[in-house]
Amino acid sequence: MKIVAVTACPTGIAHTYMAAEKLEKAAKKLGHVIKVETQGAMGIENKLSQADIDTAAAAILAVDIAVEEAERFDRVRKIQVPVQEALKNAEGIFAKI
Amino acid sequence: MALSFPFTCPLPNGIHARPASALEEVARNFSADIVLDNQRTGRSANLKSILSIVAAGVCFNDACLIKVSGLDEQVALATLSLFIRTALPHCDDAIEETLVTNGKSHLPPGLRSSGATVHHGTVVVPGIAQGRLVWASGFKMPDGLPTDEVQDVKAEQARIDQGLERLLSWYSQQLVRMPKGIEHGLITAQRAVVRDDEFRQRLFNAVSQTRRTAAGAIVDAERHFSAMLRASDNRLLHERILDIQDVCSHLLTEIYGDINGQRRTALAHDSVVVAELLTPGQFMGLDRRFLKGLVLAQAGTTSHTVILARSFGIPTIVGVEGLAGAVLAGQEVIVDADAGALVTNLTSSARKYYASEMNRLAGREQVLQRYATRPAMLNDGHRVEMGANIATVAEAQAAFAAGAEGIGLFRTEMLFFDRESPPDEAEQFEIYSRVVRAAAGKAVLIRTLDVGGDKPLAYLDLPTEPNPFLGCRAVRMYPQYEPLFRAQVRAIIRASARGTVKLMLPMVATVDEVRWAKRIITEEQARCAREGLPFDPVMPIGAMIEVPAAAFAMDGLSRELDFFSIGSNDLLQYFMAVDRANARVAQLYNPLQPAFLRLVKQVADTAHAHKKWVGLCGEMGGQLAYLPLLVGLNLEEISAPAPAIAGLKAELAQLELKECQQLVAAAVNCATADEVAALLERFLARRSAPLLLPDLILSNVAVTSKEEAIKLAIDQLYIHGRTTQPRMVEEAVWEREASCSTGFGHGFAIPHCKSSAVRINSLVLLKLREPVAWASIDGQPVKVVILLAIREVDGAMEHMKVLSKLARQLMHDEFRAELEGDSSEARISAFLQQTLNA
Repeated sequence: MKIVAVTACPTGIAHTYMAAEKLEKAAKKLGHVIKVETQGAMGIENKLSQADIDTAAAAILAVDIAVEEAERFDRVRKIQVPVQEALKNAEGIFAKI
Repeated sequence: MALSFPFTCPLPNGIHARPASALEEVARNFSADIVLDNQRTGRSANLKSILSIVAAGVCFNDACLIKVSGLDEQVALATLSLFIRTALPHCDDAIEETLVTNGKSHLPPGLRSSGATVHHGTVVVPGIAQGRLVWASGFKMPDGLPTDEVQDVKAEQARIDQGLERLLSWYSQQLVRMPKGIEHGLITAQRAVVRDDEFRQRLFNAVSQTRRTAAGAIVDAERHFSAMLRASDNRLLHERILDIQDVCSHLLTEIYGDINGQRRTALAHDSVVVAELLTPGQFMGLDRRFLKGLVLAQAGTTSHTVILARSFGIPTIVGVEGLAGAVLAGQEVIVDADAGALVTNLTSSARKYYASEMNRLAGREQVLQRYATRPAMLNDGHRVEMGANIATVAEAQAAFAAGAEGIGLFRTEMLFFDRESPPDEAEQFEIYSRVVRAAAGKAVLIRTLDVGGDKPLAYLDLPTEPNPFLGCRAVRMYPQYEPLFRAQVRAIIRASARGTVKLMLPMVATVDEVRWAKRIITEEQARCAREGLPFDPVMPIGAMIEVPAAAFAMDGLSRELDFFSIGSNDLLQYFMAVDRANARVAQLYNPLQPAFLRLVKQVADTAHAHKKWVGLCGEMGGQLAYLPLLVGLNLEEISAPAPAIAGLKAELAQLELKECQQLVAAAVNCATADEVAALLERFLARRSAPLLLPDLILSNVAVTSKEEAIKLAIDQLYIHGRTTQPRMVEEAVWEREASCSTGFGHGFAIPHCKSSAVRINSLVLLKLREPVAWASIDGQPVKVVILLAIREVDGAMEHMKVLSKLARQLMHDEFRAELEGDSSEARISAFLQQTLNA
């Protein structure tokens, strides 16, 4: 499955990147293709294009703050979880898809 | 015929004690009766009595009338009107700034759950002190003295007069011996009460009208004037009650002997003194060897007692109400003036907390001491000489102990103040020689006398000038007082035989002034040679650059002189045309004004084009924030007060010349001071100070809780100069913890924050001896703590990139295993550097 994700936490120093790494690791293990956008202290990195999002089966939003440019995700199925959830149980999030 | 003169009170704080005493000083020179009418309140005052002036309650913008009648009324009126127009508006400087915490004091998280009793107050002098609580009962008139039914009125009044006279002469003697400063101001204020006509009259009337004894009259006067001050709506006046009480108590002692003797508070061990109120006199009576902290239930933040405590650096809080001081006496307590708290009933966890606070302070001391003994050098090896500003021999010794590499400014005025006649050549030679000896070969830059209208000397009979800062001072007065200047020059020339001496002329504006002074110096050197006195024939001669005209005469001056030192205070004041003591324009007094930086740059550049040495000795040199700019201006030397030196050296070690030069090049092209400030802020964020240092990695750390672990990690930032406000950082870290636990599992935690209290982006790694509970997402205790402290405003994307990489790496078992292993601090540091910078 092709999946997109966004991670974002209040300070954007640690959790944003830890969660991104966890999601990528889990996706690899489960045989999914994933692209994770981080919205952290360095701004938006690895940005998801509209095409990325439109062709994805689902979008995981592992965020504790509002997502930037949220309108991009209007047409895709979204699974929103707290950042901590991605650290605690990344594989479980994929199971919800 | 009476004369009058109307004016509107120009002082934002009204005519309180200080302006009143300035008015009284002027008025008492005349025999005419002088009255001030406050037309708003309808109250009149005798201008020769500060108590009476103060009672008139003159507020900002009150319409007032001065009425003069008597023999010298013409001169009196002319003098007073000139004084009121030109000098009075400036009489209100130095209302001491005080640190006041907002509302309730803020307890550090580590202390909140300690169970100790915390009494909140307002911080007036920060710091932390521990000691036994000593309860000092406040001011009280002694009882047991007869107060009523005087038989011989005349004799009793004579007793009072003799007491007043002795007290006045005691105060005057104190003033002669005392250097200008805080205590001097205090004594001057109290002396004004002793010679106050209203004060004396009230004492006399009490005797003649109500048959009170001297003691009874003093008790009445104390009550009356205290009530009068208390009734005013001026907060500054309330705090002068303590001065009245001191005077009354001293006067009783003069008349009845030392009845207060047993009331003095004796200290025998490290003490925290707690009182409802403490008069300045009572404060001065405390043994400062043992006085570690001060807690006052009532005193405001501008009383003389508080000002004295500040000058001695005694951690102090005020406004602590409802303290049962007598009950607590003898208990070991802590004044945490950083948090605005008195901590009593210390529990073991509170003791532990403060023990770690003491370790933090001692740790910083140690690091600074390490820098004090190192040469002042940038990270790239570039040397900048670190000098000290001094005014006395004792300060010279302290300065070298604190790491000074020379004396960058020896202000010689102190030798000339508060005495009947100027020090002669021999006395000056002795003092300069002692400083040169203390310098042991290092350079001593002696500035010749800088006095004038604003710093008058009794024996010089300098005329009063309407605008002393633009008047005949420093180098401008030398031709008129040539023998005085020659004596000083000879003393300096002779001292030059004993070490490295440089002579510096203050307030130079033109090449003519320099040529004149050089002629005198050459003549005196020739005389010394004829007399066979040894001296250094190539003693460098230089000038302070503090008059803007000199900054634009650098070519000519460089041909005449060997070196320059920028006096940034006066230069900025004259250049911006701003009196920095005037609160209404003080915001212009900002060294970050681009025009000012351009001026300083052109001074340095022109001098350097002539291969001349340039230093800076103003207050700007003592402040860490400006250091990158001073380095980037290519100054050879920076001179600062001794206590700042180690910190400046530590900061220098983190700078690189090229970066600082680029900063200055950009700063001089800014349009506003705010732009320069923002530039500086970004520079500090981006500078090359590494995120990670072996010093910031600690293994085998013994802590028993998450709170302790976080505090200890943040303390490392403080110890290594990466924050000056560890408690603010702690607050920010805990705020983050509250939103989401940073224990991400596997025995690791990554507490972090973004805070304006962080000066340098940092990573601290603690490996704990025993794991501690952390509320981790996997419920496991934590063994490795990685603290990330990031600046609020950040330009360092590099650092952020490294940290995001670290965060990602921590998700991998192998990476964590490396950190958990038995490696040394240096190996862990190298491993992290290598992985993260790859």
